[in-house]
Amino acid sequence: MGLTDVEDGFDAVLHLLDRQVVDRDGKMVAKVDDVELTLDPDGGLVLTGLLVGMPALLPRFGGHLGPWLNQKYVQAGEAYADRGRPSVIELTDVADIGSGVELSVARDGLMRPRLDGGPGTPERWRIGDLVGTPVRCDRLPKRSRVLDVRFSGVPHGADRARVVGLIVGPGRPGAMLGYDRKREAGPAVLAGVVRWLHRHARVVSIGDVEVDREAGEVRIGSGADLLPLLG
Amino acid sequence: MKKYFGVLLGVLTAIGGFVDIGDLVTNAQVGARFGWSLVWVVAFGVVGICVFAEMSGRIAAVSSRATFDLVRERLGPRMGFLNLVGSMLVTMLTFIAEIGGVALALELVSSISYVLIVPFVALAVWIVLWRAKFSSIENVLGLMGLALIAFAVALWQLGPDWGEMVSSLSPAQKPGSEGWATYAFFAVALFGAAMTPYEVFFFSSGGVEERWTAKDIGVMRANVFIGFPLGGLLSVAIAGCAAVVFLPQGIAVETLGQVGLPVGIGLGKIGLAVVVLGFFAATFGAACETGLSVGYSLAQYFGFQWGKYVRPREAAGFHTIVLVVTVIAVGVLMTRVDPIMVTEVSVVFSAIALPLTYFPILVVANDPDYLGEHTNGVLGNLLGVVYLVVIAVASVAAIPLMIITKMGQG
Repeated sequence: MGLTDVEDGFDAVLHLLDRQVVDRDGKMVAKVDDVELTLDPDGGLVLTGLLVGMPALLPRFGGHLGPWLNQKYVQAGEAYADRGRPSVIELTDVADIGSGVELSVARDGLMRPRLDGGPGTPERWRIGDLVGTPVRCDRLPKRSRVLDVRFSGVPHGADRARVVGLIVGPGRPGAMLGYDRKREAGPAVLAGVVRWLHRHARVVSIGDVEVDREAGEVRIGSGADLLPLLG
Repeated sequence: MKKYFGVLLGVLTAIGGFVDIGDLVTNAQVGARFGWSLVWVVAFGVVGICVFAEMSGRIAAVSSRATFDLVRERLGPRMGFLNLVGSMLVTMLTFIAEIGGVALALELVSSISYVLIVPFVALAVWIVLWRAKFSSIENVLGLMGLALIAFAVALWQLGPDWGEMVSSLSPAQKPGSEGWATYAFFAVALFGAAMTPYEVFFFSSGGVEERWTAKDIGVMRANVFIGFPLGGLLSVAIAGCAAVVFLPQGIAVETLGQVGLPVGIGLGKIGLAVVVLGFFAATFGAACETGLSVGYSLAQYFGFQWGKYVRPREAAGFHTIVLVVTVIAVGVLMTRVDPIMVTEVSVVFSAIALPLTYFPILVVANDPDYLGEHTNGVLGNLLGVVYLVVIAVASVAAIPLMIITKMGQG
């Protein structure tokens, strides 16, 4: 599949984050407050879980506000060991993802924090941390950030969905409102304005970027292909 | 046969449920001060609410997503939260005004001060929201609200000079004593009264409550495109009655009793009794809708179980919010704040808050991921964009106009 082929794959912010999670019996469970990625031994990033709860939601308020809110939330219940850890819904419990996320299990006692640690634990990332990270690239405007994360496959398929690329550019994550993926979506005036505002946004393959989590930035090498949205 | 009955019932409840305290008060005030010269705003607002409600109803039918699901999905957690706070405050304000309106309607009948009635009204609203079936609330109060047709009958009985009326529909016929800023302020207020955001929260969440599917789009459209305009005609009749009775005398409308007075003049005591029943049903119904809407929006933002289609125990958080909101409303009204004043403020803030929810709905109504083949057509998008601009202008202009005209006094 091509990076700009919109028929296959999905974008995390546009298609998964903030969606309603509904259980097997149609009862509401939660929102997808954040998404968990796991670093595969081969270096790929794989979608493994949906994160739920204040410790997943609050950091996504962004800037200084998000971490501050989260810190206050943890402090308000410091006696609880897992106060700062979000709950996880394993991707293996997801039956279908449409306008909402449908689970194959009942909601009772479903969510618990992921208690890993110790040797052999894979590295976990959050989409919420990746999105909004400043991007260093000579060929992009200085204010550029990671706007969305593109996956291959379907989120709940037998083959696990992998990160294939990043959508980078100036502006705010989610502000493209989906007009970056569909040429025909109207109203034409609105689509035109949104596309013009994001005319510098590009898609770049995950293989061509270096994510520096220490420095909190994403570097794109000079040889990387910066593809326009919508192919 | 059953199907036609269902459509008829839906249309009738849409008519009866269209008018709330904001429409009652604002239309009567505007009629008394500006005659027929602002009626075009009501018509314009009614078309707007049709466009808005049809889009959100269609999204709810096809994708089972209600308004605040979409707000958060499209605007993200931070903008979505600001949006939630703004919209919830406006809906709360409207809820307070509606409960005050029910109490004022009962004051008209009983001569007991509305302040003493408020706690009982709130208790009744809460019990209904807790125990009654969703469809019963909608149908019973919607049908009772049809009593407001008395305004249309009274207007006909009062027998205004229809030729003169038609010629005074133009904005140029604004009474010379009123300034253009005041005219614009009341235009925004009328627009806010016709296009109150909670109507759409309630309408779309109601679609999910009643488990609409794509097959129900036709019935939903019939309710919106027939019911809302006929409900809007009632708004016009309220303004017309006030224009006939109060405008020549230069009397300002300041109480709910005055809103109903022209019906008493036109139809006598029986008419007055019918119209007070209409007041009660319209405000009680809208109190239920706004109370539920506050719960809907919070639950839809955070993702916990909401709705009256599950047992209260299964949506405990949702029902707790409804209870808390009801208690707050009683607290505010017990300060003896004038419910009419709360209404005046709520319609203006409705106009201010409108773009927050209209914009994401317009975007999603075009998204085939949600709607498949049912995305907006050319006409839908043309109207959608026109109203996006108008709603944005009204929202921006509202606060400056409120200050310049001192809430329409200038």
